[in-house]
Amino acid sequence: MLERRLKWLAGLILIWGGVILCKLVSLQVVHHRQYAGLARARQEQVVKILAPRGTILDRTGAPLAMSVPTQSILVNPQKVPDLGVAADIFSMVLRMDRADLYARLEAARQDGRGYFVVKKKAAWEEAQRLRGMDFDWIQIDSGSERHYPNGPLAAHILGGVDFAEKGNSGIEKVLQAELEGAAGEERVLTDVKGRGIDALVESEPKPGAALTLTIDERLQFVAERELAAAAEAKGAHCGSVVVMNPRNGEILALASYPSYDPNRPPDGTDNPEARLNHASSVPFEPGSVFKVVTLAAALETTQLRPESMIDCGRGSITLFGRTIHEAHGGYGVMSMADVLKHSSNVGAIRIGMTVGEAHMHEYVRRFGFGERTGVPLPAESRGRLRSLERWSKLSLPSISIGQEVSVTALQLAQAASIVANGGLLVRPRLVLKKGGQALPVPAPVRAIKPETAMTMRQMMEGVVLPGGTGYPEARLEGYSVAGKTGSAQIYDVAAKRYTHNYNGTFIGFAPLNNPSIVVVVTLNGTHGNLGFGGRAAAPVFHAVATEALRVLDVPKDLPEAPPPPVVAGNAADKDDLAIADLGSREPNILEESDEETPVAKATAPAGPRVPDFKGKTMRAVLAEAAEKGLPVIPDGSGVARLQRPPAGSVLRQGERIRVRFSR
Amino acid sequence: MATMPAFLGKTATAGASASSAASSAARLGKNSDRLRALPLDDVLFFSKKIDNSRLVRAADPRGRGACWSAVGAASVLLVLLTGTLVPTLAGRLEGYKLEALKGEERRLLDERRTLELQEAELLSPDRLQQVAEKQNLVAPQAGQVVHLDGNKPDSAFALVK
Repeated sequence: MLERRLKWLAGLILIWGGVILCKLVSLQVVHHRQYAGLARARQEQVVKILAPRGTILDRTGAPLAMSVPTQSILVNPQKVPDLGVAADIFSMVLRMDRADLYARLEAARQDGRGYFVVKKKAAWEEAQRLRGMDFDWIQIDSGSERHYPNGPLAAHILGGVDFAEKGNSGIEKVLQAELEGAAGEERVLTDVKGRGIDALVESEPKPGAALTLTIDERLQFVAERELAAAAEAKGAHCGSVVVMNPRNGEILALASYPSYDPNRPPDGTDNPEARLNHASSVPFEPGSVFKVVTLAAALETTQLRPESMIDCGRGSITLFGRTIHEAHGGYGVMSMADVLKHSSNVGAIRIGMTVGEAHMHEYVRRFGFGERTGVPLPAESRGRLRSLERWSKLSLPSISIGQEVSVTALQLAQAASIVANGGLLVRPRLVLKKGGQALPVPAPVRAIKPETAMTMRQMMEGVVLPGGTGYPEARLEGYSVAGKTGSAQIYDVAAKRYTHNYNGTFIGFAPLNNPSIVVVVTLNGTHGNLGFGGRAAAPVFHAVATEALRVLDVPKDLPEAPPPPVVAGNAADKDDLAIADLGSREPNILEESDEETPVAKATAPAGPRVPDFKGKTMRAVLAEAAEKGLPVIPDGSGVARLQRPPAGSVLRQGERIRVRFSR
Repeated sequence: MATMPAFLGKTATAGASASSAASSAARLGKNSDRLRALPLDDVLFFSKKIDNSRLVRAADPRGRGACWSAVGAASVLLVLLTGTLVPTLAGRLEGYKLEALKGEERRLLDERRTLELQEAELLSPDRLQQVAEKQNLVAPQAGQVVHLDGNKPDSAFALVK
């Protein structure tokens, strides 16, 4: 009996074992792939390892553009089993309003949408909690967002990115390949709660290279601030400022007006002109600043010297049936240096005629006009310089005074650098380092002889000395300066005539004998006499150059002294207008001009008055001087007995008050 | 060993009341080997004392060897299992820690980038200028000498009137 029961038991156990074996074979062999796949899908997650887009820094290391990681919570409303439960979960985890979320989810489902963003920029902890829930209808998208922490600062240099973080303008576009990062992937083994147990990196992430620009954030800010203030004050519709190191071509600031905020995506209300980089993409007629090229060509190709006398024709010159005038009044015979100082159109034309077409064309090319400078900015203009074969008889005189040719502010900075650095054409640079590696500086090319550059510098210094068109606006306290003003009338293509609007320009550099900076300021569309380069653009040069020299810690090369008072004189001396053609059909607005030229008034020496310190203690004297910002050199002890300069006199710049104390 | 008679005997002494024991003893006569009757049942139990103090376990070297072999085998098996399982378990636990730390590292890196952005926004020239204007500060002129006022706190040294 017992044996029979044991046999039954053994048989049952055998059958049980057989069934288990069959099931095991089914699981492990027959359906192995299916179940292994299911297990993998359950236990393994493929996680994207973000590779942020490269940060863009200024030359001091301050970030100008950077990407910040974000986590977006998405759902497919059609796949959500219960919208109420989904709303409960999201409102609890993401701290959102449940009723509002439910309504939006319901609306999305009814609209048939398969994609609904529950929350953008979710916190890392929130995303992790939702990941742990492991619902197949919740999708967590890891990405990054581009930010420009300084808002509109350097917007035209930096450019912007599209929704996929791909550059669509500025440096972001041109250096997209370097800035873009490649995301990696890793396979993470997780437990039932979604916690990671082990991970295998399948592809390493490659972050984008950091770019260090040559821009100085502080100078860029000052350049943009001063440019915007001047443009609004002078009624200019656009303008630009370029600050460049003439020795190595590094662009320290490049401002364009109007500007925009790259953090804000463009919409229909934006001013399209604000997105244009006026410094590199919009050429304009330079006007009288181009006389620098004419005179440099004359020094190299003719016998003319700065002291050579030029007949300025008493204010007009007639060539091939066209009469060309000075801006105001006229000059007789004057030296070539004075032609530049007073910006005589007739004198510059006569010099240009002496140079000849071939040499003029060659030197315009040598100064870098008619070709792109090569800065990594999109849509850089090469300007307009017609080939020599297409020049008319009037091209040479026109180009001699900066007409029939168009240039960009960047090209002007490059040309001014040639004079500043001793005759070498140095290409402007905008990128200092890529991924921490300094970029090589391209070898400069000799454009003019060093002695020619030296002579040009001296002649350009006359422009900012008394009597020059840039005086006194372009003077810098403590620094010698060279410069040139330009005021080109804007040609109205529709009306086929020159208008009362000007391209007011100033190019300058300082200190004179060893220039550290070149500054080019253009204001396009200024009105009236106050819109001339010497009055509209030179003050911007003054403000920007002063700040740049201070920031760069350039030693002063002149004793600080107040400028001599402006002598009231002929206002025509301050005009450097590139004139229109009298003989053509277009009316010459200069003859019609009934605007009164403002006459510079004599000014009293400026400076604080010296207070009376006599009888006061040293402590009181120092406190009063500190409060008024006056420099005091105390001597002795006790109470103040003597002081120099005396009380009530004007304290000149750089002067200090010596106070003698005794008991 | 707690045999049923012993158990019942203990319960009789501990559980039954003195009056009921006295009445049943009077009814059935005195017998020290008899145990307490089951309640509501006329079944009587008596304890039987067995003396096995003279019994001696026979020597069984083979059985003892087999026993030690089994113990040894079990120990070896235990060591092997432990040696196999413990590293796996420890590895799994370390994996948890490692993944948690990697997640923490990523979170901290993300947080650092966010903080760097905030710092850059706070230090933007435009904002600094606005703050300076509120504090009535101006940029120093090149080469300007700033005289410190002894009556003001140290923090005022950088301020330029």
